[in-house]
Amino acid sequence: MNLMGAFETIVTPGSIDIAVRILIILIEIAIVVGIALLHVAYATYWERKVIGHMQVRLGPIEVGWHGLLQPFADGIKLFFKEDIIPANSDKPLFYLAPVIFFVSALSSLSVIPFFNGFVIANINIGLLFLFAMSSLGAYGIVLSGWASNSKYAFLGGLRSASQVISYEIAMGLSLVGVMMMAGSLNLSDIVKAQHNYPTGMYAVPQILGFFVFIAAAFAETNRLPFDLPEAESELVAGYFTEYSGFRFALFFLGEYTGMIVMSSIAAVCFLGGWTIPRFVTDVLPFLSVVPGIVWFLLKVYAFMFLYYWVRATLPRYRYDQLMSIGWKILIPLALLNIAITGFIKVMVEGLL
Amino acid sequence: MSTEKLIRKIFFVEILKGMALTLRTLFTHPVTRRYPKVRRPVQPGFRGLHALAKNEEGKMKCVGCGLCGAYCPSKCIYIYTSEGEDHTKVVDRYEIEVLRCIYCGFCVEACPFGAITLSEHYEYSDYSREPFYMTKEKLLSNWDKYFAGEKGRRYFRDFWRPKTVDFAGADEQATFAKVRRK
Repeated sequence: MNLMGAFETIVTPGSIDIAVRILIILIEIAIVVGIALLHVAYATYWERKVIGHMQVRLGPIEVGWHGLLQPFADGIKLFFKEDIIPANSDKPLFYLAPVIFFVSALSSLSVIPFFNGFVIANINIGLLFLFAMSSLGAYGIVLSGWASNSKYAFLGGLRSASQVISYEIAMGLSLVGVMMMAGSLNLSDIVKAQHNYPTGMYAVPQILGFFVFIAAAFAETNRLPFDLPEAESELVAGYFTEYSGFRFALFFLGEYTGMIVMSSIAAVCFLGGWTIPRFVTDVLPFLSVVPGIVWFLLKVYAFMFLYYWVRATLPRYRYDQLMSIGWKILIPLALLNIAITGFIKVMVEGLL
Repeated sequence: MSTEKLIRKIFFVEILKGMALTLRTLFTHPVTRRYPKVRRPVQPGFRGLHALAKNEEGKMKCVGCGLCGAYCPSKCIYIYTSEGEDHTKVVDRYEIEVLRCIYCGFCVEACPFGAITLSEHYEYSDYSREPFYMTKEKLLSNWDKYFAGEKGRRYFRDFWRPKTVDFAGADEQATFAKVRRK
């Protein structure tokens, strides 16, 4: 009797409503994580294909038609590999580090609006959340470097810590211009503000900020030309030198998820997210029929291609060059961008 | 810093040039050969696995003079002979340690009768050292495998004409290097 009463007090119309909402959110999370991981798998394939052809090679071609099943072959291989843990490593941290890295990369996906109305957590501090998560990812790297008890991993972790901290500032400042123009930190509102803006995307008035963002995004995700934390020719593999099997795979997945997140931020904050500029739809009205997710994905893919393209072209910077680029060029440029944006916003009413 | 240099630096002219180059190569045809599926045609006169030549009657050409073994820089040819009936020289064993061979072709050049040859076969990996120790029987069967018919005749006509057939001086002798020059 008592139990029934307790049950009836819990199951009220209000609580059912909450349960349904939680269920919907869980389904959304499942969809987003599933699609994101599929994208990560094929991002590796696509990268190897693009870089291969840029270096006049073929890239993966044996597994499946034109090597299309290669990501799954890699995944299966990594899953069945021996899980080696160094004897003198700091075990709890060693276990924890890849998880921190991967979780922080994946949870960034929760605030990104993929198309109109589809966002897992429509919070007002979306951009700040993204910054927080990308900084948290650095913890995974630093802890893995420390816990491995290996000098290469440790050096990689140290490099990553200073690099991510340095470029975090530049990236945050480069997005301040976008925040000022949109007047919001909510990513959906930023996209809507861009749609109402004459050029349709903030990359045009915020070209300086966009450039700083691209450079900082490369450094933040440890990609060439700023891949010093995992510089193969210097540090074996960098911070994940001692990791093998599925723990290594977590780092790998985290890195590519981070790239996709950065590409999504670029698409959302600078390239107009799921919208296309109004002047394009005015000229070609049939384009407005295309669902928003297509435009969003196209922009993300274009930015991912830029990642691969730069990787195939540029050599790695020296560490002092990396630091001087970050502190002496990118941060002043981002500050200049903020100053110009603010100046124009005050001077020319209604332009921004 | 001149203005031009400054502008080049600000707009990353060099980096953009490099990126244009990589984008162009993205659309060129890859040079990769998918080896086990696509094999390069072997050039004539290729120096691969050894074989002992047979004459028209199907008998071994080798007389056991030992010149090949004497010339061999890695000393991997072993020849054991004995006296047969009516005082002829009989080659009992003719053995080559293939793993020590450097494929210089001196043995072929040295042989007065065109008895030792290097075939065009080069895919002979294995799991133990035993298959790479070539005995007389193996070397003779290699001839049947890789030099059957016209191929064997052509080998000596075009590349390694033995001195017993053609007593021309060193300049006129057909050697591998001259064929390449033609």
